[in-house]
Amino acid sequence: MVGIMIASLIFVTLGTLIFLKRPKIVFVISLLAVLILLLLPEFRSYVALVIAIGVLNLLSMMIMNNQIKGLDYALTALIAMATVYVVFTNDLTMILLMFVISSIPTYILVMTSENGAKVDVAVKYITFMVFATVLFLTGAVLLVYSKNVGSELIYLLGFVMLIIGLGMEVGCAPMHEWVPDVFDSADPIPISIIASIAKIVPFVVAYKILIMTLNPTTAKIVPFVAFVAAVSMFVGNIGALTSTKPARILAYSTVANMGYILATLVALINLDWIYLAFAGALLQLMANAFGKIGFLVSMKEGGASTYLMYALAFSFIGMPPLIGFWGKLFILLSIVKVGYVWLALILVINSAMSVPYYVRLARILAKPTIPSFVNAIALIAVALTFITLIPPNWFVDLAKAIIGGV
Amino acid sequence: MIDVATLLFLLFATPVACSLPIAFAWVYRPGADWARKLPILSVFGLFVSLCIAIYILLYFPDGVFEYPWLPDYNINFVFVFDYLSKYMGALTAFIAFLIGVYGLEYMKHDYRLGWYWFFFNMFTASMLLVVYSDNLLMLLIGWEGLGLASWGLIGHWFRDDDELAYVGVIGRKVGPLKMFWSPSFGGWRAISTIRFGDMPMFFAIAAIYALTGTLNISEIDWGHLFHHIGLVGTLILMIAFLMGPFTKSAQLPFSEWLMTAMTGPTTVSALLHSATMVAAGTYLFMRLSLYIEPWKLHHTPGVEQLYFFVLFLGLISALYGASVALGCRERKVLLAASTMSSLGLMFACAAASFWLGKIAIYVAFWYLITHAFAKATLFLVAGHLIHATHDRFCCGNLELAKKMKVAFLATIFATLCLSGIPPFTAYWVKSAMDYVMHHLMHEVGGAPLYLLIAVSVIYSAFLAKFLSLNFIKGDKPKHLHLHGEILMPLAYAVMVSMLALLLYAILTGREVEELVRNGLEMFVEKGFEKTSLAVGLAVLISYAITLAIPKLESPIGRFLGDRMYMPALNDYIVPKIGWAIAKAVDWCNKVIDVFCHQAIPELISTYSLGVRAIQSGSLRRYVKIALGFVMVALIFASLVGW
Amino acid sequence: MNAVVFALLIPLIITFIAPFFSPKRATIVSFLAFIVPFFVTLWALLTGYEFELPLMNLGKPIGEFYLFADPISNAFGATICLISAMVALYSLPYMKHRFEEMRDEIDDVTREFRKYFFLYNLYAVSMLWLVYSGNLILLYIFLEISLLASFLLIYKYGYGNRQWVALLYFVWTHIAGVLTLIGFLMVAFENSTLALKGITTVSFLAWLLIFLGMIVKLPGLGPHIWLPWAHAEAPTPVSALLSPLTVGLAGYVLLRVYMVSPWFINEFRDIIIAYGIITSLYAGFSVFRQTDYKRLLAYSTVSQMGYMLIALCLGSYGLLGVIIQYVSHAFGKSILFMTAGGIIALYHGLRDVNKMGGLHEYIPTISNAALIGFMNLSGILAIGMFGEFFILKGIVDVYGLNLKLIVAVVAVFIISGWYSFYTLRKIFYGTPKDMERPKVSRFLDTPLYVIGIISIVFIFPPLATLFLKSLKLCVLGGVMP
Repeated sequence: MVGIMIASLIFVTLGTLIFLKRPKIVFVISLLAVLILLLLPEFRSYVALVIAIGVLNLLSMMIMNNQIKGLDYALTALIAMATVYVVFTNDLTMILLMFVISSIPTYILVMTSENGAKVDVAVKYITFMVFATVLFLTGAVLLVYSKNVGSELIYLLGFVMLIIGLGMEVGCAPMHEWVPDVFDSADPIPISIIASIAKIVPFVVAYKILIMTLNPTTAKIVPFVAFVAAVSMFVGNIGALTSTKPARILAYSTVANMGYILATLVALINLDWIYLAFAGALLQLMANAFGKIGFLVSMKEGGASTYLMYALAFSFIGMPPLIGFWGKLFILLSIVKVGYVWLALILVINSAMSVPYYVRLARILAKPTIPSFVNAIALIAVALTFITLIPPNWFVDLAKAIIGGV
Repeated sequence: MIDVATLLFLLFATPVACSLPIAFAWVYRPGADWARKLPILSVFGLFVSLCIAIYILLYFPDGVFEYPWLPDYNINFVFVFDYLSKYMGALTAFIAFLIGVYGLEYMKHDYRLGWYWFFFNMFTASMLLVVYSDNLLMLLIGWEGLGLASWGLIGHWFRDDDELAYVGVIGRKVGPLKMFWSPSFGGWRAISTIRFGDMPMFFAIAAIYALTGTLNISEIDWGHLFHHIGLVGTLILMIAFLMGPFTKSAQLPFSEWLMTAMTGPTTVSALLHSATMVAAGTYLFMRLSLYIEPWKLHHTPGVEQLYFFVLFLGLISALYGASVALGCRERKVLLAASTMSSLGLMFACAAASFWLGKIAIYVAFWYLITHAFAKATLFLVAGHLIHATHDRFCCGNLELAKKMKVAFLATIFATLCLSGIPPFTAYWVKSAMDYVMHHLMHEVGGAPLYLLIAVSVIYSAFLAKFLSLNFIKGDKPKHLHLHGEILMPLAYAVMVSMLALLLYAILTGREVEELVRNGLEMFVEKGFEKTSLAVGLAVLISYAITLAIPKLESPIGRFLGDRMYMPALNDYIVPKIGWAIAKAVDWCNKVIDVFCHQAIPELISTYSLGVRAIQSGSLRRYVKIALGFVMVALIFASLVGW
Repeated sequence: MNAVVFALLIPLIITFIAPFFSPKRATIVSFLAFIVPFFVTLWALLTGYEFELPLMNLGKPIGEFYLFADPISNAFGATICLISAMVALYSLPYMKHRFEEMRDEIDDVTREFRKYFFLYNLYAVSMLWLVYSGNLILLYIFLEISLLASFLLIYKYGYGNRQWVALLYFVWTHIAGVLTLIGFLMVAFENSTLALKGITTVSFLAWLLIFLGMIVKLPGLGPHIWLPWAHAEAPTPVSALLSPLTVGLAGYVLLRVYMVSPWFINEFRDIIIAYGIITSLYAGFSVFRQTDYKRLLAYSTVSQMGYMLIALCLGSYGLLGVIIQYVSHAFGKSILFMTAGGIIALYHGLRDVNKMGGLHEYIPTISNAALIGFMNLSGILAIGMFGEFFILKGIVDVYGLNLKLIVAVVAVFIISGWYSFYTLRKIFYGTPKDMERPKVSRFLDTPLYVIGIISIVFIFPPLATLFLKSLKLCVLGGVMP
């Protein structure tokens, strides 16, 4: 297993170094490196979904010209690899390393654009990411440390720092300030990577660490998570309601979605249902990834086929049987189950509030259906949101397996 | 030989089925020549009903016939054949058929024949259903059918463009009240009043079913039921039930619809006022009383109060109706008010059965029959008069009488028979009624008798007025066009001759087995009593006086003619309350609407702008906010840990 | 596999095929796709046919997905099929008119018809499948699909500020749906399954959430405010499904939940029935002041849905009332919305009641159909009569001769009759306005009469006998005495 990972890593590193001047070859190498991961024996459905997202990201990179053409493919592949690998390891050092690996490439990607590096965007983004990473890592270390010394205060501090770090990293309110600005000013393609695949690792890592260090004190501090989640949902949805630029709408939608996903962490107080919460979080992350890729890539060309845009919007709104519905369903299931009905109700209100802007977004981006590369990518994204036509109870098993080993 | 079920099916279905051709023809080819011939088919349907009804009268044994409807609920089509239903059925079918024949001519040039005949026949079928049904839910179908058909027929001339179809002087106002009513309004008024009564009745039927598990009038153990639910329960149940008959029979305060119902074609008024619709109310009360047997329930709580209430409601309505008729100048409205008065008497008389037993019900029933023929005759004559003179208001003199001899004679005979002048038909029935009311002297006091006499006197007065103002002493009609009608005079001639037949039946009553069995031989016996003769004399005098002096201008007369301003209730008070509620509700809707669909979205968009205002683009500010939150959170965590 | 399942599959398959036909053919195909299942479900209803068809098992806590039929689902299903079939026929002339009106916004009418029929069939079929779903999640999924399809229909072809209205509709019903979903989920955890046959208990909070959600959808007083917007501004064929079929399905959901766990309604019976009565009276009075014909009908829907709420509180006979009320309201209201649409199509968008009057002169067929429709609403000589009968019986069963309640419920029924005939007079009778006599397409009036005749035939044997027999076996046999 580790062999495959290392082989893939070496393959992409060497390949990139050798063919840096020939982006097309780098693309093929990156693609192969990612696809090799399919050979991994465990968690195949998870791996397949992550690879699907990764491949979509790679494909969408193709429509964008930039200064580091070639390298961008490799960086994207790197994030995908980290995202895959993170579920296989339970070693603290490794998972924190994966957290960093999935984060660093985005610093570079966010700067890229078709005409010159966007430094001002990068400054904002990187500032926040540095804070986030520091807080997250410190929090993680404190948590583990507290387990050894058995100090409640250290645990609480570590918990809060970890959550805030996570929130900053993915863009939860009230640490979301960078999100609208970055989404608005950067090129949509790199944003589609930041908004999709890069969101997965932080959550998986957070889940793993929190479960590792779980203790009775957790119940005391979980309301803090619920609070941040609720604020995030409200800020995201309310902010999006009056936004008219697609990029801004998507930025706030990201904030809201991260709120939904963060909310699942309240299930930490009941180990019996944590796997369901994790399943909800993962599924929602997938739903978010497919939707964001579809929308952001379409934005690059000013829009895509009407049908595709509406399908993605309805997935976000949570219409069954699209993937967005199941994500929300599992999230609701888990938070209702652990007794946070008020949070569930807030989620309901927010989910209703989100309807107008998603429909508006779909309307803005709706274009006649013509064969084009952007439409093809959006079509794949839409096809993937339909994978839950078969009710995804297998996803719960998957989540159980991933979490179970911790 | 066809079986009973088929026969009964034909009784109800033929009239409706035979009216369908014209109904459909008129939708697709209104006014076509061939379509104008189709009404004959409808009348044929009525004729079939008549034949079956007579067959039932003559050959059916008393008893019930059951056909499964909802057998799992113990609710079935149950037909009852007894004295009341057999005679009533034959009467209804006969009158409907005659009026149908009359209508062939009367409605010849109408613009809406399909509608007219369909509802006319449905009206008859519904009434027959009410008459023969023992099951209350089945009765309700007929009952609702009556309501619907009456709505359709009263509002028949829906265009509201014909002065002849209005009630009241167009444009006249008294205070805030408009004192004229259009056909479409008459229809709406009728159905709205009837709904008001039908729904409580519907409830009562459901309640009876819930409490006893059956809906067959003859099967229910009424005494047990009343004992079971006690005084208040009985009153709630029975008054709710009787709301149906009260509204249908236009007892106070539900009388207005009957007056404005005169906006319909005269044939409709004739049918409505003689054997169907309004008679259905009293008929149902009689049928119910016959099976409740209130005379056996003197110790059951509630029954006495109930019958006492109906007695006085009936008498007061009778007095009201008679007084209004006295003041009316419109031909049909006068007759309508008189119908209301007669219905009141029927109610009162049937209610007296509590003290007197079955006999009172039979007296009331015989009065119903007499009244039906006489009133139908008068309406048909009135219709002919309106046709000929193009005037809704009473007008006509001897010259007219000469031209319309049949009508003149029919009116004389009908008024004489109906007012209770000895020795004509109603006299004998009224004498029995005098006897009934007299009998109440001990239990209830003298009021019923005095009221009855007062009503009788006024009644004969306005009948004489009708005769006098239309044929003898009225103004000369402005227009007079006789079109050589044949069917119309024929119809009312036959109708009025039925009164003679009745008279014959009563006088030779001792030989008619049926009458003897039901104790009605007393008609003649009571007719020769002194009090009855005295009342008869009083009635005759009032008849004679009014014949001589038909018109008397006075404020009292105007008050009566304006129906004592009862329209205020229907046209002013109730609508005002209704509209006030509707306005309040509308206002509430607006408030909720604005709150949910404007205030909340606006609030949210304000917040939204607030949230977006954070994005100033300044990194310093962002970091401040984020780190500020980190600090606060860490302090919070420390506090929790501490 | 059995006949009913086949019958259910037909419209599902046709949904995806119909768009490939020309508009006229698509109309006929859609009509057939629903009329065939109508006869099958009617047959199943009358014979009391029941079945259960497992689809898949999702394990805890969602449980088994299966289809099932009993007389209750057949009664709802047959109604949905009939109305959908008739409205499909009606759609052709109406949408032609609508596309004509919208010609600035659309370029190809045939293409729009394709989209329209796809959405229309999807909408109808999702409602049909909903009543045969044996799992609450499955039921919820169909609820949301029907919401989605109707939303898109309003969004694309509605009137007025249609996009705003569509969103408003979506948001309200989405709240309703998700609240119910949370309720369902709590049920899932309490019973480890959401299969209707497996549920044994429903806790307070779960019941409350389901109830609140369905109250928004039904709608009760307060949340009712979305309904007049949505039902008035939707294209009329959609209104003719929305108002008769969709909102009543909330009653269906409550009925199903009630049948597995009646305690909530029984416990809070007094409050719920009072709420139902107030809703009904309030909406009934609102009808009088409406000037827009479709809005007027929408308020009448609110009032009629109050009946369902009242009936739900009245024991097992009340349940019969709920079912029959749904059927009768569906018949009546679909006819009425189609008459409204007829007037719109024939008189270039005429909806203002004050500008009507005497229309019987020009469009007698539509006017007569409206009469049948209003007869259904007020329970005169139509199937609604039984509904009212069982509601009234239920009152006496549960509350005895309680004067206040009796007066209130009777007042509710009276108001329905009043506004029915008041509206009839205002629109169709009185002095005719100066208008032309249009040529009425047969598709614009015949479907109305088919529904009307069925609604009347339903009170006589043999239909009434068999229909009520099946319902009795199903409802009175199963639940509390």
